[in-house]
Amino acid sequence: MAGETSGAEGADKGEGVVAMREIASRAVAISKVYGHGETAVRALDEVSIEFPSGQFTAVMGPSGSGKSTLLHCMAGLDRVSSGEVWIGDTELSRLNDRRLTMLRRKEVGFVFQAFNLIPTLTAAENVELPLAIAGDQAERSWFERVTGEFGLAKRLRHRPTELSGGEQQRVAVARALLSRPTIVFADEPTGNLDSRTSGELLGFMRRSVDDFGQTIVMVTHDPTAAGYADRVVFLSDGHIVDEMAEPTAEKVLEFLKRLGD
Amino acid sequence: MWRVTIKGLLAHKLRLALTALSIVLGVGFVAGTYVLTDTINKTFTELFTETTKGLDVAVRGKEAFGGQESAEQRQPLPAAMRDQIARVEGVRAAEGSVTGYAQFVGKNGKPVTTGGAPTLGVSVYATPELGESTTVRSGSLPKGAGQVAVDARTAEKQGFAVGSRVRIIFQGPAREFTVSGIVGFGEADNLAGATLAAFDLATAQEVLNRRGVYDEIDVVAAEGVSPETLRDRIQAQIGGGYEALTGEQYAEENAKAVGQFTNVINIALLSFAFVALFVGSFIIVNTFSIILAQRTRELALLRCMGASRRQLMRSVLAEAAIVGFVASLIGLGAGILIAIGLQGLFEALGADLPTTSLEIKPRTLVVGLIVGVGVTLLASLAPALRATRVPPVAAVQEASMAAPARVGWVRITVGVVMTALGVAALMVGLFADEAGNRLVTVATGAIVVFLGVAVLSPLVARPLSRVLGWPFAHWAGQPGKLARENAMRIPRRTASTAAALMIGLALVSLVTIFAESLKASSAKILDQAVAADYILTGPSGGFTGFSPEVVKQLSAQPQIEAATGLRSGSFKIDGQSKGLTGIDPVSYGRTVRTDTISGDLGDLAQGGLAVRKDVAESKGWKVGDTVTMQFPVGGTDRIPLRAIYEDNQINGEYMLALRDYQRHYQDQLDVFGFVKAKAGVAPPESRAAIDRVLAQHPSVQVRDQAEFKQEQENQINQVLILFYVLLALAVVIAFIGIINTLALSVLERVRELGLLRAVGMTRGQLRAMIRWEAVIISVLGAVLGLAVGVFFGWTLVSALDEEGITEFALPIGTLLALVVAAGVVGIVSAILPGRRAARIDVLRAVTTE
Repeated sequence: MAGETSGAEGADKGEGVVAMREIASRAVAISKVYGHGETAVRALDEVSIEFPSGQFTAVMGPSGSGKSTLLHCMAGLDRVSSGEVWIGDTELSRLNDRRLTMLRRKEVGFVFQAFNLIPTLTAAENVELPLAIAGDQAERSWFERVTGEFGLAKRLRHRPTELSGGEQQRVAVARALLSRPTIVFADEPTGNLDSRTSGELLGFMRRSVDDFGQTIVMVTHDPTAAGYADRVVFLSDGHIVDEMAEPTAEKVLEFLKRLGD
Repeated sequence: MWRVTIKGLLAHKLRLALTALSIVLGVGFVAGTYVLTDTINKTFTELFTETTKGLDVAVRGKEAFGGQESAEQRQPLPAAMRDQIARVEGVRAAEGSVTGYAQFVGKNGKPVTTGGAPTLGVSVYATPELGESTTVRSGSLPKGAGQVAVDARTAEKQGFAVGSRVRIIFQGPAREFTVSGIVGFGEADNLAGATLAAFDLATAQEVLNRRGVYDEIDVVAAEGVSPETLRDRIQAQIGGGYEALTGEQYAEENAKAVGQFTNVINIALLSFAFVALFVGSFIIVNTFSIILAQRTRELALLRCMGASRRQLMRSVLAEAAIVGFVASLIGLGAGILIAIGLQGLFEALGADLPTTSLEIKPRTLVVGLIVGVGVTLLASLAPALRATRVPPVAAVQEASMAAPARVGWVRITVGVVMTALGVAALMVGLFADEAGNRLVTVATGAIVVFLGVAVLSPLVARPLSRVLGWPFAHWAGQPGKLARENAMRIPRRTASTAAALMIGLALVSLVTIFAESLKASSAKILDQAVAADYILTGPSGGFTGFSPEVVKQLSAQPQIEAATGLRSGSFKIDGQSKGLTGIDPVSYGRTVRTDTISGDLGDLAQGGLAVRKDVAESKGWKVGDTVTMQFPVGGTDRIPLRAIYEDNQINGEYMLALRDYQRHYQDQLDVFGFVKAKAGVAPPESRAAIDRVLAQHPSVQVRDQAEFKQEQENQINQVLILFYVLLALAVVIAFIGIINTLALSVLERVRELGLLRAVGMTRGQLRAMIRWEAVIISVLGAVLGLAVGVFFGWTLVSALDEEGITEFALPIGTLLALVVAAGVVGIVSAILPGRRAARIDVLRAVTTE
């Protein structure tokens, strides 16, 4: 609807911001190969990409396009076969398990599609988990602000089994934000949610970018979800095939149709 | 369905391996016990067949006295009987023989110890057929008053050779002999650990206090006369007071006596094996519950596809049966190894069993398999039943990880009723007067209490884990907090894992408390009842006696006020065999405090009997009555009752005046001695005086009260250690259970563990989390075990108050150490599951399929 004009404005704004902003995370010619010899599968092929600070990026692509692999490699959950992955000023491929763990603890936040919470801990304890693991304490006002923003204030003492699916995902996002990480990776966070709850959750994520300046990278196959992002990156067969600034659900859907043809 | 069963087994083979291990160990213990005792029986049967080779008929006194606590005593045979028997038609040779006490003195001047086996002095046979069982290894058989033959084992250990001079202690003073020969018994170097000094008949009769008598007359039949015929002919000649047996009967009887003894060992070891299996069954219950819970969806899917409940049940039970069968087979193999190990242990302890192959009876295999498969099936019954209740719809529902924690009133009722019934059975068994089979009642009660507490334990598992986990939650950071949550998460699982440990630790703390109470009680008895300063014992602590010369000589020392010796013997009253103590009333009265109710112990100086209060009451005796008693020597006699005394835990039920004892018993050996120093004599002086006398009697050990207490404590400790070793298996199995539960939980929580890793938990923190969970579970088990153990210990000690265990001692330090040890082993058992958890691939854990 707002089509051309808003896109152009957005692009202008975006460029200006990018110029000022640092890069939260970037990949330099990363490849990921599974297996070897004849049966080798290249899930990522020389992919280079940058994720500027304070931006909400959606990664899309058909099944098997390598979008989840990209996310896992960027997040330090998986190791690349070649190339470099940077989070802030740290290059990941040279880190041992311990250093990687420390990096995940301090610099990275995660939201998964399902099973995000430890069933024995309350919502509040789950939100504080990464900090507690590090032996730190959450700053009280920040904790209250994040949980308040996510509408969790009254649900904090409940255990995951007593929360709805949407609430569980909100707790997961709140957890990812609490340590003010350099970057948050979300892997199909709305995959198990109905459209209304999805919208709520994506709204919260959007606000955390706008209000807190959080950097978020989200893998999704849902054009509506992608519409909440600042930018969409399209992956196919382990390559970045295109990207779109200021996406809307319609534009994304259209693009995907073309890509499918 | 069969295919599903087999596939299920293969898919879970690693998980089932640890379960199987608990069965392997339990069945191994059972099989090992049977193999060991069967082998000992066979060894002795062979040995007795060997030693009765050439013997056709043996003649001996008919009535046997004692035989359980003390060595069997029989009326000796007059020397003239040999000639009488020799004249019986069909007798080719008849020869008397004697057996008695002969203690070698080693080259170091100390008596040769046997570890409880007898120190035998025997006569050698002149008749070649009778001597067939004894093989002369070197030198020759002894001839004349100065010669002795020694068994090969003693000779080897002590360095005795033909021509060596050896000192031997008898009932009288020690004497010196020249070794004429070294003998063996077929292949064996000695008779099951006993030392043997063989003399010619005349010398043996003299040194063994058998002048003019024989213990046995051994007969060789003439050609063509069967042993049975000859036995009957001889029996007709010798009259009712004596009996004739064929060589075969004789060997059988001996073997039977050994059989009774090994039977006791058998039952004792089997009860420990039972404890191990009992503990193991908890682990089986747990494993099957966890595995089936993890397979809920699979089971529901089978139900969706039309499998009936009965089919599911059969499938699960078949799985259990196969696991039980395979584990039992391995267990049987392990049992043979265990038996070999135990045999080696016996040999190391000095009992040189003749080398025979292990005796593996079909019974051993059958019992092992039945027990192994039976326990596994029984334990898997409850989980199998639960599995059949899975509704088909569970296949399509999201599995809820945390089961709702409901308060099960059924559980509470069943648990409370079971515990109450168990305690009741325990009390009846311990305190009720009527005999019955008390041991069985007590054991059943204990098992039911364990089961009752196990049923109740899930109710306390959550709150107790919260309390026990407090230190970890507060000082071990987030891993500690999560560990506590995990321990509280599925109370039933935590509880049954801890319950396995509870049983082992309850028994460990029970024996510890019992041993400590025993020590405290015997120390108190010593303080209260013994006025003597020193206590004398024989070479193996009261089992073998020493010469009365010792006390006689000590009494003559100027530093000594009084010295007395106690002799022990058996007699029969109203057909029952009883034990008595022979005492010299004058010196005894000065060294041991006895409160008499009526009469005076001093009156025993003119001969007579004194009995304990409860005996007098139950028999309705008064001082002045005459008691009819039957003795090994002299037969039936009427003894006047002189005194009735209060129980002081030293005197025993019957005390006979020494002058009567001397008339009625062959062996005159003191088994205990009490020595009181004169007032004003410093301890070093009185001790020096005693040491001077004992220099000639190296087999006698002297201890002052403190040393004696220490010695008793040491003995109790040795038995305690034996119990610890036997219970260790049950505890080890319990820890296998902890490893198993943790490993299964790790598999179950793969995604959760992966998530923790993703959000920044290090491998070390993950391991710490599992470690603290293990510690909480094992300390929980230890605490429950101690609670039950202390209760058992208290009831047992209370029940034995009349038997002399008057003190209840609670060794707090040891019990606390047990809890700490449980925690430490918890840490160890978390190593493997922790490593498994740390290896989890974060990616596979967090991605959805």
